[in-house]
Amino acid sequence: MAAKNLLEIENLHTWFELKKYGFVTVGNVRAVDNVSFTIEKGEAISLVGESGCGKSSLAKTILGLYNPREGHINFAGTVLDSSDEEQMDWYRAKVGYVQQDPYGALPPFMTLKKILEEPMKINGIKDSEERIQRIKETMEELKLTPVDDFLSKFPHMLSGGQQQRTVIARALVLDPDLLIADEPVSMLDASVRIEILELLQKIQHERDLSVMYITHDLSTVRYFSKRIMVMYGGKIVERSPVGDLLDNPAHPYSIALLHAISEPDAENVDTYKEVPSGEPPSLLNPPEGCRFHPRCKYKIDGLCDEEIPPDFGCGMEGHQVACWLYRQEGEGIPDDS
Amino acid sequence: MEERKYLDIEDIELFFSTSEGTVRAVDKVSFGLPRGESMVVVGESGCGKSSLGNAILRLLPRNTEKYEGHVFLNSEDLMSLSDEKFRHDIRWNRLALVPQAAMNSLNPVIKVQDQVAEPLLVHDMVDNKEQAKDRVVKSFRRVGVPTDFLQRYPFELSGGMKQRVSIAMSLVTEPDIVILDEPTSALDMLTQANIMNVLKRIKEELGISFILITHDIGTSSEIADRAAVMYAGQIVEYTDARNFFGDPLHPYSIKLMSSVPRLDVDKDLDYIPGQPPSLLNLPEGCYFAERCHKRFEKCSQEPPLFEVEDDWHVKCWLYK
Repeated sequence: MAAKNLLEIENLHTWFELKKYGFVTVGNVRAVDNVSFTIEKGEAISLVGESGCGKSSLAKTILGLYNPREGHINFAGTVLDSSDEEQMDWYRAKVGYVQQDPYGALPPFMTLKKILEEPMKINGIKDSEERIQRIKETMEELKLTPVDDFLSKFPHMLSGGQQQRTVIARALVLDPDLLIADEPVSMLDASVRIEILELLQKIQHERDLSVMYITHDLSTVRYFSKRIMVMYGGKIVERSPVGDLLDNPAHPYSIALLHAISEPDAENVDTYKEVPSGEPPSLLNPPEGCRFHPRCKYKIDGLCDEEIPPDFGCGMEGHQVACWLYRQEGEGIPDDS
Repeated sequence: MEERKYLDIEDIELFFSTSEGTVRAVDKVSFGLPRGESMVVVGESGCGKSSLGNAILRLLPRNTEKYEGHVFLNSEDLMSLSDEKFRHDIRWNRLALVPQAAMNSLNPVIKVQDQVAEPLLVHDMVDNKEQAKDRVVKSFRRVGVPTDFLQRYPFELSGGMKQRVSIAMSLVTEPDIVILDEPTSALDMLTQANIMNVLKRIKEELGISFILITHDIGTSSEIADRAAVMYAGQIVEYTDARNFFGDPLHPYSIKLMSSVPRLDVDKDLDYIPGQPPSLLNLPEGCYFAERCHKRFEKCSQEPPLFEVEDDWHVKCWLYK
């Protein structure tokens, strides 16, 4: 029987060793620290967090670009073993990656035809007619039309939106089961962003593709995914259905993130925003206990600064938050503030 | 004659010559900004908004082909000043700039304190280094950089702190107007909100005018009193912020506004099909016509900037 979950991540740790003189280990950057989650077949989930919170490291670990220090990645019923080259080749062909900066991700000296052909050549599709056929289908899906005009173009001849669509086409040309999109629209103009997101969404539905959408912009997630995870300091601090998180954020960090968003409104001129003081923690030497406690105004002394909070349920089904405020059912953020 | 605003830009043009022809980056732009008010210039990338900032400050690249028009500051025509006088009396003295990617424009091998003090020393605004340091400390306090950062190098600071240092550098001479070119676009949400709070406080306390150049409409609403929308080198709408954020008129402004994702409403988002025209080769008539959902016959001619209501200018035939 086919498993319902396409991807299962269990207790994943990605640490980078920091070395002195080239061999003495002086510490570890805990980019991903005990992360577990699942993605179902055909599901889109969002991962939100600020720069340096470990979200790209998590993506790259899932892609097999970094080796986890601990934990398992279970893909379509197979537990991945990073030392098994043959298995990793099979896996990499099943997972597509959309990079953040389209211009940096495309080789400037290759035409679109070569760029899109390369993944198929590497993965042993020898028939050049089949390759061209698949390129054409994918380009049409991404509205890079007329296809023949685009095939001979170089990346610098395209606009930002077209470049990003090329990156997506390259990720899709092998017909993957999972797509990891790392800030796919953050470098683009607002007017193009929505176009790309809508296109991604359409493809996700049509291909029944699982997508992990990584972003720092909470305002776009509603348009894309059903579930959302918020990451802070290498850990996932809150997971929830999208609507529930946007309407009733539970973790003090998620609340701060939502407050920080400016919606276009002339009234904004008259009010100041409430922003937690301080900066995200260093992952080399993260604070004891909850990683957010030094910036949190609801900190409980003797608890938040000592013990790492587990996931507590709150509100709707599937809404979990790693915060001590929710340790008893029915409790949460104190009202008086 | 109509009374001049504190900063009054009249028909300013900035063209660049390239091997492929003339790039009309700023094409007869006019607007007025009263003292102490702030404005935002929004538009897609490549619409000439950064060039407008540079044109006001007379920061011209070598391939400038045409630089004409008038910039009046407190009724004084800055265009009649010599380059040397402009550099000494105006730039950084009364008009300052926080450039795009300001956090990467700091010199990596000079301590931030010395970099921020530089405009003071260059413009002979202080007698000695002690005085300069006092002013730097004052400026750092204003933007919320701890004073023990004075002795640090830029690489020792986070992105948000570097951006604050750049803003401190623009404020140290106490100019009347500061042009901010995409001040928050590379920063995280929380840092962005912090920087906007800082700017808001400075605006209130010191009465400095900001000209905010950005593509982020949401963030810009935090400090804008007035809004200008730029498209293909021209201003297509210029009005009070309340008008613009409430109910913009130009079809481009409407589309731009509806492409901003919102948290609270579950409305369908819109985007603008196509791409802005190349500034090398502009179409006949209205530059936006090709992408416009309200195009009609008249649009094959270039519309003037109509005054729809008092202080509400729209460059579109619909509002004739």
